[in-house]
Amino acid sequence: MGGATSRGENSYGLDITCKDMRNLRFALKQEGHSRRDMFEILTRYAFPLAHSLPLFAFLNEEKFNVDGWTVYNPVEEYRRQGLPNHHWRITFINKCYELCDTYPALLVVPYRATDDDLRRVATFRSRNRIPVLSWIHPENKTVIVRCSQPLVGMGGKRNKDDEKYLDVIRETNKQISKLTIYDARPSVNAVANKATGGGYESDDAYHNAELFFLDIHNIHVMRESLKKVKDIVYPNVEESHWLSSLESTHWLEHIKLVLTGAIQVADKVSSGKSSVLVHCSDGWDRTAQLTSLAMLMLDSFYRSIEGFEILVQKEWISFGHKFASRIGHGDKNHTDADRSPIFLQFIDCVWQMSKQFPTAFEFNEQFLIIILDHLYSCRFGTFLFNCESARERQKVTERTVSLWSLINSNKEKFKNPFYTKEINRVLYPVASMRHLELWVNYYIRWNPRIKQQQPNPVEQRYMELLALRDEYIKRLEELQLANSAKLSDPPTSPSSPSQMMPHVQTHF
Amino acid sequence: MFSLKPPRPTFRSYLLPPLQTDDNINSEPKIKKLEPVLLPGEIVVNEVNFVRKCIATDTSQYDLWGKLICSNFKISFITDDPMPLQKFHYRNLLLGDHDVPLTCIEQIVTVNDHKRKQKVLGPNQKLKFNPTELIIYCKDFRIVRFRFDESGPESAKKVCLAIAHYSQPTDLQLLFAFEYIGKKYHNSANKINGIPSGDGGGGGGGGEGNGGGVDSSQKTPLFEIYSDWDREIKRTAASGWRVCSINEGYMISTCLPEYFVVPSSLADQDLKIFSHSFVGRRMPLWCWSHANGSALVRMALVKDALQQRKIDQRICNAITKSHPQRSDVYKSDLDKTLPNIQEVQAAFVKLKQLCVNEPFEETEEKWLSSLENTRWLEYVRAFLKHSAELVYMLESKHLSVVLQEEEGRDLSCLVASLVQVMLDPYFRTIVGFQSLIQKEWVMAGYQFLDRCNHLKRSEKESPLFLLFLDATWQLLEQYPAAFEFSETYLAVLYDSTRISLFGTFLFNSPHQRVKQSTEFAISKNIQLGDEKGLKFPSVWDWSLQFTAKDRTLFHNPFYIGKSTPCVQNGSMKSFKRTKQLFVVVSMKSSTGTR
Repeated sequence: MGGATSRGENSYGLDITCKDMRNLRFALKQEGHSRRDMFEILTRYAFPLAHSLPLFAFLNEEKFNVDGWTVYNPVEEYRRQGLPNHHWRITFINKCYELCDTYPALLVVPYRATDDDLRRVATFRSRNRIPVLSWIHPENKTVIVRCSQPLVGMGGKRNKDDEKYLDVIRETNKQISKLTIYDARPSVNAVANKATGGGYESDDAYHNAELFFLDIHNIHVMRESLKKVKDIVYPNVEESHWLSSLESTHWLEHIKLVLTGAIQVADKVSSGKSSVLVHCSDGWDRTAQLTSLAMLMLDSFYRSIEGFEILVQKEWISFGHKFASRIGHGDKNHTDADRSPIFLQFIDCVWQMSKQFPTAFEFNEQFLIIILDHLYSCRFGTFLFNCESARERQKVTERTVSLWSLINSNKEKFKNPFYTKEINRVLYPVASMRHLELWVNYYIRWNPRIKQQQPNPVEQRYMELLALRDEYIKRLEELQLANSAKLSDPPTSPSSPSQMMPHVQTHF
Repeated sequence: MFSLKPPRPTFRSYLLPPLQTDDNINSEPKIKKLEPVLLPGEIVVNEVNFVRKCIATDTSQYDLWGKLICSNFKISFITDDPMPLQKFHYRNLLLGDHDVPLTCIEQIVTVNDHKRKQKVLGPNQKLKFNPTELIIYCKDFRIVRFRFDESGPESAKKVCLAIAHYSQPTDLQLLFAFEYIGKKYHNSANKINGIPSGDGGGGGGGGEGNGGGVDSSQKTPLFEIYSDWDREIKRTAASGWRVCSINEGYMISTCLPEYFVVPSSLADQDLKIFSHSFVGRRMPLWCWSHANGSALVRMALVKDALQQRKIDQRICNAITKSHPQRSDVYKSDLDKTLPNIQEVQAAFVKLKQLCVNEPFEETEEKWLSSLENTRWLEYVRAFLKHSAELVYMLESKHLSVVLQEEEGRDLSCLVASLVQVMLDPYFRTIVGFQSLIQKEWVMAGYQFLDRCNHLKRSEKESPLFLLFLDATWQLLEQYPAAFEFSETYLAVLYDSTRISLFGTFLFNSPHQRVKQSTEFAISKNIQLGDEKGLKFPSVWDWSLQFTAKDRTLFHNPFYIGKSTPCVQNGSMKSFKRTKQLFVVVSMKSSTGTR
């Protein structure tokens, strides 16, 4: 900020570096030191935490006609998945966040594991983040389970309870195959983690498990990679060696690895080959990416607007992705090593999928962009704090507005007119450099030379198409109604395609 | 009754009915039923049974069993097995999923893995070993592999040689389009006016009715006749310009159309004199006029250095006079500013290598920089950038623009088209885009025969037309609401350049079509009557290739019909109509086409 060394007309002013890939520069008149006041005010309100001021979300008095905080109800979501069932139970052991302070209050665990078992397993998992269920396949009953790394350490410690617990998970579906463990990290990093008490599940200790490393790099690598992307897109797009510059940022390569990992998880589960356990180090960055992307590939419910909101609430917000630390809301320490664009990377992966499956998602690109814009805006409480317990202490749901209130009260704007509901289709995106693209509409949207036409004719066209679609659905309903009236009293069947669709499998 | 006379007697046997080889004796009834679908004039020259088509490179689990045939139009693999892995959204009525038109074949490689031998088959070569495998490299980046492990070795060899022979003809009249059109004329000898689908504009509709009425409502102007040019002048309100007929019967130049548009102030007599100074006698041709009166003009270089100044001056004066504001002329020497056709070809070869390269993982790692190294995108960008600069001259500077190029029939086609696509929304409709290709490519004498290399004389090959479609695709990506047509349409259009059935992309100039087809007609005793040469089917008659349902995929659902100014013609599709079509596309999966 400030302090441009160049002389000349615009040498006095303010430089503002933004979190969303742009820098703003204001030239000010040198007389009267106008810059100083401006600088102070901006600093105070841009970084309220450093000045004992509240985040804007706590002052925001916006009113919406829907309450986004009601979108996610864990009990309802697990019920949608058919849980609890004979093998999985809902436990309130973490009601007061005593078992694990970064996990949600409500957890789904194997029926055969007692609360005492859980406590003992917690001692062997980094930050007590024990393996718990994220998703269960409606038919073959294989599951995606998430956790943190085991505390193996240099000495190669073992924990009988943890080993037994993983075996119990394996046995919940009647397969005889081994439990598949995906360690998101590169193997070198996993080994290195032993030095700090962490590690991975060794073959010796876990006979009934098979471990694979997914080679996804850590938060620091991702941060540096995005920084390089910013360098090549702002303020100038370097045309002459654009593709090799893009390649040298490795951003798309990281996207590729994350997607490849998620595809493997989804494939294991979908094929019914085995249940899958996913972890990285703490299980709140790469793990969240992998489980949520795999769930998006497997379960079409998450591809609807509300379904996606639930997915984000569940796998990211409730399971303690450290939004406050990764984004640095209201914090002035911009060099903080805890910051990293992990959630942005996840949204980018979702965008890549939506490009490859243009009819599979109810939402459009604007939906993803508005989520990212409010990831940084602090206008809503949705992405504040690091975990559920902190949010509860701060009474976030009472004192702030949810981002989903904004979105759900104006859903039309975020709908994809090409969306076609398909219930049991698993999406396997092509995670190849041939198919991955830089998300120009997000990363380069601030560059005046790349800027979209305003008003955007495509958005306009979206609205027209949606209106047409509704019209046709209505006509179809009428025809179906007329048709069913002709047939002698058939059992009352749902009359609109939209009604026939979702709510997949309630298994009890 | 067919004219395919192989120059060497070795190949005569292919014209006989297929030999009864021993593999036919123990063939299963299932295989026997596999019969190719043939077009009029198409004959099977050779075939082999029990062929395995390889699908994946690393496994044989998806391989298909069937019969491989070579006709004078295509190679066809006929199988009962369903297509694995890949499903296409549309089906070509002329070609099955496994068919490759002969004109699409780039290289034929035969392999014998027991003897560890491999040979690239030229047109008239011998093959000293029995092939166990045939690999066909296609111009559209496809690689097709067949295994002959279970087939009769002699038949396999014969099919390979037949493919090599028929896919590499030495004479234009050996291309299948001639055989096809000859047959059509013979079949309809008793009818008046030749064949039904030869009128080009997509109206007549051969074979497949006009259901859906998608393309048939409007004809694509072919610019073969005076009135098409006249209408174009009126459409663009180009007041200072007139249609000129001095090239009727190709009296002035064999690489110009019979009719073209020139400044009103230049008399026929002057033009005749000037024409001698231009390469190929390609005098200035009007392409298009902006609503502000600025014109886009293309011409060849003046050969005679002494005359150059004087002629340049006269031409520029005439163009200035045709401008309502008497604005100056901006000249763009394309040879000096843009990559030449050899460079474009070199980039294309690299691009193709990159795209078809195995193993996959190796190219994957450095994909982006490898793509950059092909320079293909750099060239696409160069053409787009230069065209955008010319758009600025025409639109904002109100200057008329003259494109200059040695012969004026390569880079000029591309730049003239791009400028018009950028400036005139009419050219972003399907009919408009097709008329643009007729006007700036087909009629302007772009050498499709040489540049597409239909006769396999590779030194003249260059994919400028593909580059144009790619550049258009880039524009479509950037302005999705501005184009009536879709990516599918562009892809299908490019594929059509590889089907030697249509006359559109077969010749180096309109004159060549007339001359060659008249010769052919005489040799085949076809009565031409008043027609100038044979009327080959036009690519724009899409009903020959696709059903009405499939043709809906040509439409871009993002298109907003009403658009920026520039269009004053009444021929644009009405907004409402197009809307209805979009719905069919967008709801295809739930409600079908009702």
